[in-house]
Amino acid sequence: MVALDKAETDVRDGVDRETVEAVNAMAGKYKHGWETDIETEYAPKGLSEDIVRLISEKNGEPEWMTDWRLQAYRRWLQLDEPRWAMLHYPEIDYQDQYYYAKPKSMSGKPKSLDEVDPKLLATYAKLGIPLKEQMILAGVDGAEAAPAEGRRVAVDAVFDSVSVGTTFKAELMKAGVIFMPISEAIREYPDLVKKYLGSVVPASDNYFATLNSAVFSDGSFVYIPEGVRCPMELSTYFRINAENTGQFERTLIIAEKGSYVSYLEGCTAPKRDIAQLHAAVVEIVIMEDAEVKYSTVQNWYPGDEEGRGGIYNFVTKRADCRGDRSKVMWTQVETGSAITWKYPSCILRGDDSQGEFYSIAIANNMQQADTGTKMIHLGKNTRSRIVSKGISAGKAQNTYRGLVSVHPKAKNSRNYTQCDSLLIGDKCGAHTVPYIEVKNNSSRVEHEATTSKVDDDQLFYCRSRGMDEEEAVALVVNGFCKEVLQALPMEFAMEAQSLVAISLEGSVG
Amino acid sequence: MAAPARSAEAEARLAGLQLPQSGAWLHLARGAAVSRLRAMGLPVKRDEYWKYTDPTPLTVAAVPVAQVIPGETEGFDGIDCLRLVFVDGVFDAAASDNPALAGVEISRLAEAATQDIHWAHEVYGVLEARGQTPVARPLAALNSALATDGVLIRVVGKVSKPVALVYHQTSTASDAILHHCVKVEDGAELTLLESGPAGARSNTVMEVQVADGAAFHHVRTQGRDHERRTLTHVFARMGNASRFKSFTLTANGALTRNEVVLELIGADGVAHVAGAALGNGMFHHDDTVFITHQGTGCESRQVFKKVLRNGATGVFQGKILVKQSAQKTDGYQISQSLLLDDDSQFLCKPELEIYADDVKCSHGSTSGAIDDTALFYLRSRGVPEREAQSLLVLAFLAEAIAEIDDATIAEAIQARLESWLAAGAH
Amino acid sequence: MLEIKNLHVKLEEEDKVILKGVNLTVETGKVHAIMGPNGSGKSTLSYVLSGRDGYTVTAGSAKLDGQELLEMEPEARAAAGLFLAFQYPVEIPGVGNMTFLRTAVNAQRKARGEEEMSAGEFLKVIREQAKTLKIDADMLKRPVNVGFSGGEKKRNEILQMAMLEPKMCILDETDSGLDVDAMKLVAEGVNALRSEGRSFLVITHYQRLLDHIKPDVVHIMADGRIVKTGGPELALEVENNGYADILAEVL
Repeated sequence: MVALDKAETDVRDGVDRETVEAVNAMAGKYKHGWETDIETEYAPKGLSEDIVRLISEKNGEPEWMTDWRLQAYRRWLQLDEPRWAMLHYPEIDYQDQYYYAKPKSMSGKPKSLDEVDPKLLATYAKLGIPLKEQMILAGVDGAEAAPAEGRRVAVDAVFDSVSVGTTFKAELMKAGVIFMPISEAIREYPDLVKKYLGSVVPASDNYFATLNSAVFSDGSFVYIPEGVRCPMELSTYFRINAENTGQFERTLIIAEKGSYVSYLEGCTAPKRDIAQLHAAVVEIVIMEDAEVKYSTVQNWYPGDEEGRGGIYNFVTKRADCRGDRSKVMWTQVETGSAITWKYPSCILRGDDSQGEFYSIAIANNMQQADTGTKMIHLGKNTRSRIVSKGISAGKAQNTYRGLVSVHPKAKNSRNYTQCDSLLIGDKCGAHTVPYIEVKNNSSRVEHEATTSKVDDDQLFYCRSRGMDEEEAVALVVNGFCKEVLQALPMEFAMEAQSLVAISLEGSVG
Repeated sequence: MAAPARSAEAEARLAGLQLPQSGAWLHLARGAAVSRLRAMGLPVKRDEYWKYTDPTPLTVAAVPVAQVIPGETEGFDGIDCLRLVFVDGVFDAAASDNPALAGVEISRLAEAATQDIHWAHEVYGVLEARGQTPVARPLAALNSALATDGVLIRVVGKVSKPVALVYHQTSTASDAILHHCVKVEDGAELTLLESGPAGARSNTVMEVQVADGAAFHHVRTQGRDHERRTLTHVFARMGNASRFKSFTLTANGALTRNEVVLELIGADGVAHVAGAALGNGMFHHDDTVFITHQGTGCESRQVFKKVLRNGATGVFQGKILVKQSAQKTDGYQISQSLLLDDDSQFLCKPELEIYADDVKCSHGSTSGAIDDTALFYLRSRGVPEREAQSLLVLAFLAEAIAEIDDATIAEAIQARLESWLAAGAH
Repeated sequence: MLEIKNLHVKLEEEDKVILKGVNLTVETGKVHAIMGPNGSGKSTLSYVLSGRDGYTVTAGSAKLDGQELLEMEPEARAAAGLFLAFQYPVEIPGVGNMTFLRTAVNAQRKARGEEEMSAGEFLKVIREQAKTLKIDADMLKRPVNVGFSGGEKKRNEILQMAMLEPKMCILDETDSGLDVDAMKLVAEGVNALRSEGRSFLVITHYQRLLDHIKPDVVHIMADGRIVKTGGPELALEVENNGYADILAEVL
């Protein structure tokens, strides 16, 4: 373990340098704000039972799936949009959205990546995600590839409402790993999907999850069989391209006994003046001795300096550690979106199960983020750890909201929470809203939170050594986030570091 | 705003109580409080602010019965102070000391009906009304509307000894609604003590205006049995370079909710709020604190410790709100509980809401059992287990008790605590 | 090299004047020392020269090779060749020492229009420099100054100096908080960097550091001014008689 850490530190030192280079090279602000000019097929605007049926039909779903969606839709009609978060945004007109948008060229269902529309392949290439079965590094444009020979990442690329392609499918299948768009899984593995879909996040869970259950169009499905260590990292890359279109993806990951998988998720969208809705659901089922790592670099378009446009990101993510000694680790870097409403949670049901949550949330300009986690300790000897780093700049509001709940039967459990906020400038806000519920005495729960501004002495020290102010801020903020960055897979750590710097551009001076 | 059901409850409660006879200004203040209460309705369990404490025993019209325990000692025996005694929520002049004391003017709220106590116009119900945003506190409005008694204290100098409010319960169904107003004028200083049970059920509001350079020290003891229901609110508003310190010791009581709503308006103010609670069995103890920083360079500190056993519940809801104007704020908050057995629980919501950047704010919260290693260490040195446990409990509470400035009062609190632990009352 | 003329400085937030007309010229390749009692303005001078916030220059100038320092941002001063070894080096949690230095080295090189140092070359150079200063590999990886002892922090300052290759080095009370061995080590590091093209301004309260870093010129500062200038013997005079005699003589 020690030796491993050392090696990683060496590499990270390299990463840091490249980060700074990358940041310097990128003068622009949001670098994924371009749009792909492609013909798109839409379902009619608005939401109704007919639209739900249409989505189901487009995906060629069996009847049970259509019924499941319709039930969710009917339930949704009875729910009210939650308003408890510290988020202020204009009322969302759910009838003024497209719920299904797909590139026309995808109608013919390409059989392999070779048949996929070159425009789509080019889109992903431009995002730094070449859809080829070769070494893939989800790195930053212009950054040299870190020395990580042999690291391969399988990618499922979701473009608006549909999956464009999935790499390494065959090779993964050899290991018994199923990695495919959920739309396909519903057709090809109906028993698995039927068994697990909605078992962690029920269709009636909350307003946005219920909406997702009714209208989700695609997403990724992952199944790791018993005892299998997934031979490569899996990733899904979400791209919203079409205008006025909500993206509602659904991810379902099942890790059978003793299996392991590391899963990465990335998201971007073009710059537009009108806000767009994104309501995703991720469900993870983890059996005995299995382990899942789920990392997100969320870089949706954040809107402009005046708060025009941007993605409204309402996401429900939950992992159910069903088996004893199962383990889940959520790592998120939230830099994008105009509105972030997201609480990746861990249900620690199995004895000795473990949940970890590492988060960096950056809000600049007019962004608002209300994000955190829930750790529900149900089993004995369960462990959880929360490390949250919130950074507010500009006129942004950033809230950590979390729950640690230790049930009476969860004897000998432990939680440690560290929740730090950094303020850059005097027009922004940083808020901390933890709920802590401890119902037995053999468990130990510790929570610490701090809020402070970026340290002037540290900035001056950096500048006296020759760094300019933005570079100094980026360095100090990356230091502030270090613990979380270290929890990310290396390629993501690199992208995340540069994102931290880019997201804070214009926040000083 | 209020759901119809909760308005109906409020109306039912109002119907069961009579607006006390008052002089013109007080009558107006009570009327305004009634309107506030009607607009808010009474609190219910599903309210976010009552997430961890069921307000029903405090809102129902019928007073839950509480046994009278004879021979209870007061909290501050042996301390030289001016005693003002209330029995079942009514001032007892015969049992009280002569309220004449240099530097302080004391009058009875019930007598304000006939007197025009000018300064009180700007305090009574006013601080409470300010404290209704951003979070509604309907039961405090109910108190302003219906309080039957209380004291009005104006402090103009350094008072030579503490003023003590001593409460007695003699009826198993007394429903005491007391309302005190304190104004500490520029540079003046007062120590106010409170002890004893105000009634089988009590609802006490204290409004404290601390002017520039003034200091207010508040130490109280409450509880000591298993049946009483107590709700207290302290609303404080602080001027430049003023000081406010409040400490509460609670032992048992079926339900106790202590709210402190404090605004640091002027610059360089210092506010410390602390509490130590010991709960055994049917015990629900809730500290709810809301501190607003508006002035620059202020310091606030919250230290709350609870020792719980036999199914006792401890609740802490504490918030530090730092407004954009409040640069150079130093805010600290710690809430900890020691769970002595597996049935007890600690429910906690420590919040920070910060809109100024040049601040240092932190909070911490822990919950856990007594440190086995420390316990063993003490026992290996010959300290019997019970005694060792008491020592560790005292050590755990020490940080809260250290918040009491006056050494004599701190000793009295410490002695009381030690005797409770020694007697196994806890 | 460094030319300070009639420098007047007050605190930004208070109306307190700290420097009341400092005149000082440090020639290329020379080591000047500034000694003076506490509160004489020595540290303020070092902070003002390096561009720290909180001070207002009310009059005067400070030029490095003819270039006015006082109008430049701190990073521009660094790129121009000015280096301040801090009396209290700042801790930066989470930022690796090596990362910090490489970022600084390359930022300066870029500002000067020079080619950046490659990762390999950087590693080679820093390892050599670290070795002479007895800085182990672990210290290079740890976050900047976090958990460093007093001596480690000062050595780390000298390491930065060695890596950044400034032409004008200011050492602010570098001996404070060091025992004799640690001071020797630091002084050796400094002496190794002495060269024809590099000047030093050594600020110290005590003479003992000057036993190890031999100055060419010694200045005595008091009440915001340079009140006496002389050779190394001036430092010895302070050592033997304290500041009182000199101050009585000049004030």
